[in-house]
Amino acid sequence: MSFIPGLGIAKGMGLTLRRFFAPKATIQYPETAPDVAVRFRGRLQLLYDELGNVKCETCFQCAQACPVECIDMGGFDTRGRFHVHWGAAEQFAERREESALRRSGRPVPDTAYEHFGGIDTAPVDAILKRHDYDQKMILAILADIQDVYGYLPVAALKRASQVSGAPYALLYGTATYYSQFHFEKPGRTVAICRCTTCALAGAGRVARTLARELHTEIGRRPTAGGVALESLHSHIAGAASPLVTLDGRPHPVTAASAAAWARSLTAASESPASAGRTDA
Amino acid sequence: MNRDAILTAPARFPRLLLPAGEAGPATDLSAAVEAGAFAALRKAVEELQPQGVLAAVAESGMLGRGGSGLTLGDKWRACARAGAAGDAHYVVVNGYQSDPAVQTDRVLLETNPFAVLEGAAIAAFAVGAAEVLVAVRVEAADAIRTLETAIEAAEKAGYLGEGILGSTVDIRVSVSPLQGSYMLGEETVLLKALEGKRGQPEQQPPYTTERGLFGKPTLVHGPQTLAAVPVILNGGMDGFEWTGPRDFAGTVLVQLSGAVLRPGIAEVPFGVTLSEIVDIAGGLPPSHRLKALLVGGPSGGILPPEAMSLVYDHENLERAGAHIGSGSIVVVDQHSCVVDLAAVLTRFCADEACGKTIPCRIGLRRLAEIGSRICEGQPRGDEVTRLSDLAHDVAASALCAHERRATLALASLVRYFRDELDAHILRNSCPAGICHPKADARAGATS
Repeated sequence: MSFIPGLGIAKGMGLTLRRFFAPKATIQYPETAPDVAVRFRGRLQLLYDELGNVKCETCFQCAQACPVECIDMGGFDTRGRFHVHWGAAEQFAERREESALRRSGRPVPDTAYEHFGGIDTAPVDAILKRHDYDQKMILAILADIQDVYGYLPVAALKRASQVSGAPYALLYGTATYYSQFHFEKPGRTVAICRCTTCALAGAGRVARTLARELHTEIGRRPTAGGVALESLHSHIAGAASPLVTLDGRPHPVTAASAAAWARSLTAASESPASAGRTDA
Repeated sequence: MNRDAILTAPARFPRLLLPAGEAGPATDLSAAVEAGAFAALRKAVEELQPQGVLAAVAESGMLGRGGSGLTLGDKWRACARAGAAGDAHYVVVNGYQSDPAVQTDRVLLETNPFAVLEGAAIAAFAVGAAEVLVAVRVEAADAIRTLETAIEAAEKAGYLGEGILGSTVDIRVSVSPLQGSYMLGEETVLLKALEGKRGQPEQQPPYTTERGLFGKPTLVHGPQTLAAVPVILNGGMDGFEWTGPRDFAGTVLVQLSGAVLRPGIAEVPFGVTLSEIVDIAGGLPPSHRLKALLVGGPSGGILPPEAMSLVYDHENLERAGAHIGSGSIVVVDQHSCVVDLAAVLTRFCADEACGKTIPCRIGLRRLAEIGSRICEGQPRGDEVTRLSDLAHDVAASALCAHERRATLALASLVRYFRDELDAHILRNSCPAGICHPKADARAGATS
């Protein structure tokens, strides 16, 4: 084979030239949408962090987007706010938690199924009829269901999904986003205003103390018999800062008195629960 | 009810949004019409036609109050052009106002509902929308009641509803009370909530003017922007002599709170300085010294006392590391700790994040943790560098405005309050005496 000077460069430039006139594959997303099948959703992959925990946030975006409703999920949501009651218990974190408890010889709480208790779903049908089974009215429908039962029972949501034809993930995923919806029977609730004026008056320190003393975090689901800690979405006009409410009524609390007050709250609500525990 | 929260501004400040002086009940339509309400709508329908309105709004060069940098004219033109022929268009009034401490939009809707409704009707007429949705907080019960009464009265008088002002144009207005998330103030999240969906922001483009509510072209504006529209058409912005740039002509509602004598709401023209605004609230109480200004609400920036000479408009605040945001201005005195304030605000923004983008969901949480470590006197290594790097990365990879601005509080701390940070990190002491880093560290060790 004879050596021709510049052959390599010519070959390279030839390729460049061919590519230059070939049709372009780059799509200017999001200005231009890619041309894919209507039901194409990409490939699903669950990611794990370095400790082996599923990184899933249980945000229900994938389940809501799934055209054939084949995605289900279970376990606690990542912020520990509530139990996700969707799909079989054999999925993901739930199974793992259960077997860990069994191995350590502790009783396994049946949290996955306590929410499936039978309820009278006749009011759900009436509510759906009143809203004309309209999927755009989901927020109003959920609010009405919560008005009837005091919380959102899974059986009621399943019924609503069945009757209206709205995917369960759509109902459940929407309900989990808005803070006014609850999935457990409401207990005592301490709410703290987090507006800028209250922040300046020490609401941050009050919130830290309350969270430590109530063994919870803001927005997190309380342990059985515990007191829930939430944030107020709007400062009550005329109320003093920092504003803390107990079951909706303002309660004067300062950074100094917060710890003692929280302890008195937990002592009051713990006594019946601990009595029940000794009986069992 | 909230009218007594309105502060009396100097007489030289014009009042374009809030009713001047002692007005009667806000829902009295005949009194409002006598004062000039719906004159601009009549002019639009009978004289200008949609094209004329678009031209007049474009000529005014006014920018939306949300700070997106788009002029009203461009936004309205884009919305009017978008969509197939006969496609539904929507106008959404974003009166949700997520900042828990601010009630400016609520007060505007309560005291001057017809101005907002008229502005929304003109916008709907210009872009060809038959439906206007006014999103309000459930907690703002007075505003909802006022709006519903006002809409009913205006429909009866033929200003809204079917065939407005004797024309063939229909404009139906409805009130949508919403609740449950701080994020609903973001426009794409608000549209999701109005559709009855989970509130997650969407990538833009496509902009809401092309694909908004139910996938249709939608115009989203705050009540203050819309209330200024009739003023534009009536020629009220002409000869508006203020030092601010022309495209930001007009007034804005601010909420003053913190260490001021008279906290409340004031209407100020763009182009005045922050010290002039703080003076409306009576300035600081005697023996209180100005330490900082929190401008823009929970996701705002913390500015040093020198910022009092700063001109209050979008551009100047952005350059200083703050933004108009909710219109909140909180005065911080020497008894408060800016490090604690920034840490608490960042924690709030992290808790309220929707979780769609990872830099926001995890980055803001880490930022809040750095903030509370500094407050508790347990810094790990070079926290300031870590903080500025992370804040920069989160803001650079932001999907929505919340993510971009939630980093402002801590970032402005690094920029303006290095001595306070150093006092906490290096000397383990808090100049305001509230963080008690050492005491907290001991409590953490024993528990």
